[in-house]
Amino acid sequence: MTPERRVYKRDVIIDVTAKLMFPLTLLFGLYVMIGTGGTGGGFQGGTILATAFILYITVFGTKTGREKMPESTNTFFSSFGLFLYNGAGWLAVLFTFGAAQWLNMSAFWPVADYVGTAGARSFLVSYMVSVGIGLTVMASFVSQYFDLAWKEEDEMEEGGEG
Amino acid sequence: MKLPEMKTLTIFGIITALLLIGLAIYTIEDLPAYGDENSPANKHIKLFSIEDRGYAKELNESILPIEIKNKIEELGFNKKENYPPLDEGNYEIEWVEKGTLEGPWLYSEDGWNVLIKEGELFYHEPIKYYFIAEVDGNLSVYRYNWPVRVMELTEEETGMGNAVTSGLADYRGYDTMGEETVILTGAIGVILLLRRRGKL
Repeated sequence: MTPERRVYKRDVIIDVTAKLMFPLTLLFGLYVMIGTGGTGGGFQGGTILATAFILYITVFGTKTGREKMPESTNTFFSSFGLFLYNGAGWLAVLFTFGAAQWLNMSAFWPVADYVGTAGARSFLVSYMVSVGIGLTVMASFVSQYFDLAWKEEDEMEEGGEG
Repeated sequence: MKLPEMKTLTIFGIITALLLIGLAIYTIEDLPAYGDENSPANKHIKLFSIEDRGYAKELNESILPIEIKNKIEELGFNKKENYPPLDEGNYEIEWVEKGTLEGPWLYSEDGWNVLIKEGELFYHEPIKYYFIAEVDGNLSVYRYNWPVRVMELTEEETGMGNAVTSGLADYRGYDTMGEETVILTGAIGVILLLRRRGKL
């Protein structure tokens, strides 16, 4: 079993702080991401979600970090976010057989009869569009961070051996 | 020939790619041409209608009739509310014909444009502010101006209370989706360049 690779010595304060901040940052990211009434949106919320993972990876190393965000989940989220956004737009075209335009969300949603156009539309924008953007941004940033961290580790390893 | 086995996760990627290709084709087919008269930026908001008592003659002589001016200022578009004042010398009036194209504007009806002149406190160049058209012997006064229009009509047009969200996800929906695609493409590029084989 290979020993855990860290740049610094194990520190209780850093470990506990990172563990405490991880779920709270995720919660704050969701709060920023979801909802049309408040400030923020998909891009900002996704970035905050990504910082939670980046903090975790920085403190506990890439190996432990990969357990929190496995490769399959990362790849899934990065394309699923775009899929959500794009699909929400296409549903409007498909459900009306081309009568409504792309992303003209009030046109097709059956709930609009019950909750009104405004409610259905805000629901779609806040959940499908914003969450779609947020997931793609989060997964992309985490994936890039992993790649850069691995490159550095590999270089350190090569330098140590040679 | 046997096709390679496909993972469940790849399906979402493939569908996303297909939807993007479809969107590209659809956009070319369906998007209105540049300068479309019905696009939100080119529409104007109707303020009021007034009976024509020789105002058309005054407008042709580049004078804004005092009755129209007073009525506009009564509606709240006065200097007190930080709107440009309609005093003489501040504005210019020009006649536009139906169907003419000037810059991004295509006029769908005849009328007079009220331009706020250069050197004004608010703008550095003359900007189209009001539009007066003759309809059945009455003069209808409209107002253009894109940001003002977004503030006033966002709830009616998009059904959302937040003007920023409606701008991001509704008026500029194509733009936002492109931005998201750019971020995904960047991540894929980093994966291709930096990731070593066999390390996931």
